[in-house]
Amino acid sequence: MSPFDAISAAVCGTPGIRCDTWHLFVDPTIIRFFGEGLRETLMLSVAAVLLSFAAGMLFALGRLSTRAWIRWPSILYIETIRALPVLLLIVYLHIKGTTIFRPIMSPFFGEDFDLPLFWAGVLGLSLYTSAVLAEIIRAGIQALPRGQTEAASALGLSYVQSMRFVILPQALRLMVPAMMGQLTTVIKDTSLVSTIGVFELIRQGRVIYTQYFNPLEVFLYVAVIYFVICFALSQASRRLEIRAPLEAKVKIQEIQLRDQVA
Amino acid sequence: MGILGEFPDLFLTGLWLTVQLSILGSIGALVVGTVIALFRVSPIPPLRWLGVAYVEFFRNTPLLVHLFFLWLGLGALGFRFWTTDTFGTIFRAAAVGMALYHGAYVAEVIRGGLLGIDKGQIEAARSLGLSFVQTLRYVQLPQTFRATVPPLGNIGIALIKNTSLASTIGVAELLQAADIVESRTFRSDEAYGAVLLLYLVLTIPASLGVNWLERKMLIAR
Repeated sequence: MSPFDAISAAVCGTPGIRCDTWHLFVDPTIIRFFGEGLRETLMLSVAAVLLSFAAGMLFALGRLSTRAWIRWPSILYIETIRALPVLLLIVYLHIKGTTIFRPIMSPFFGEDFDLPLFWAGVLGLSLYTSAVLAEIIRAGIQALPRGQTEAASALGLSYVQSMRFVILPQALRLMVPAMMGQLTTVIKDTSLVSTIGVFELIRQGRVIYTQYFNPLEVFLYVAVIYFVICFALSQASRRLEIRAPLEAKVKIQEIQLRDQVA
Repeated sequence: MGILGEFPDLFLTGLWLTVQLSILGSIGALVVGTVIALFRVSPIPPLRWLGVAYVEFFRNTPLLVHLFFLWLGLGALGFRFWTTDTFGTIFRAAAVGMALYHGAYVAEVIRGGLLGIDKGQIEAARSLGLSFVQTLRYVQLPQTFRATVPPLGNIGIALIKNTSLASTIGVAELLQAADIVESRTFRSDEAYGAVLLLYLVLTIPASLGVNWLERKMLIAR
């Protein structure tokens, strides 16, 4: 008897473990079904990361601004959003998204514009991630020696020029591992979008187990898919370990623990 | 926030369940995290591998998957967390999920605290004539404490926010309360606004506390 047979003989008698559904997970149709979910998951995370990187950059610069009327709204936004659960933002945007965006979008998409579920999810994720990325970028900018800004302005560079050519290229390089870590978190966070009905990995899994009554196997399978992707990414970000000042590292670890755990 | 007065039972039970989940989850995560951290620094290789596998698995899979696994997956095996009450089972599954998931993060922090102390310090303390207990009391523990307490506070804040995921498996905590009120009244702004404020009431004092701790430990260092 092969070891596999021994395991199935021992396990398959247990009620709840349906050995007759194991063939599903190598079935090409089912793999394709999960593949569609995976594609949705990846598209959600890429869209959310791009959007929140742009917004996060603005809020980071806003928070570092010397003008109070820019600085205080940025601080308020970042600190409020960081204190809220992502799921709350996603669910709220799902319910109110169409009401909010119809007046803006109706000139382009007609009067019956509905915010697609996918974009409601992306916006919910981005609202939160942009605040987190803003904090990470700010930590990166603050980690640079003051002399850099001073030298840039002494050379006659304007604020925009010194940011564009001196500060941001250096700060963003320091931030690359943290940003990749954030991508891992966003991939995990997309699982929450299943609650509003986007058919990503978890939702596909729920479709399968309501059909075949095998939640145990399905969630193990889904967990493995998530693990493979996220583990590869987090290993890659660890490889990229770039020498950053200790203070910035501590600051980023704090941000990661408070906001990346999701 | 008139809506809080209209459905006081829903919002109050929601708040109470969120607080309960946060406290139970934090205690559980501390226990799990300490055990796994000890595994990771132990001299026995299989235990070390187990620790690494645990941390990597839980840090690279979403909490939602664990919650569904604990509730539906184990439910299919007939495991109901030693209670016949369905809501009890769901609540316990959620609390266990919180503890297991955040335990992986806690383990990394505690391991960092344990390994962070320079061996030379312990040797110096012993050569100054301090006993083992004195070394532990005056040299090792204060530093471990200082290195671990602020990050643990941050994990605690994340945990409070993550209790909202328990609503997806049916725990009637704050977010679920908002969902229920919204579906009864269609006053989504008020319902979610009220819950938003309640979450802020929970998390903002917590993060102010953590910031204060951080500053205090930094000065002392």
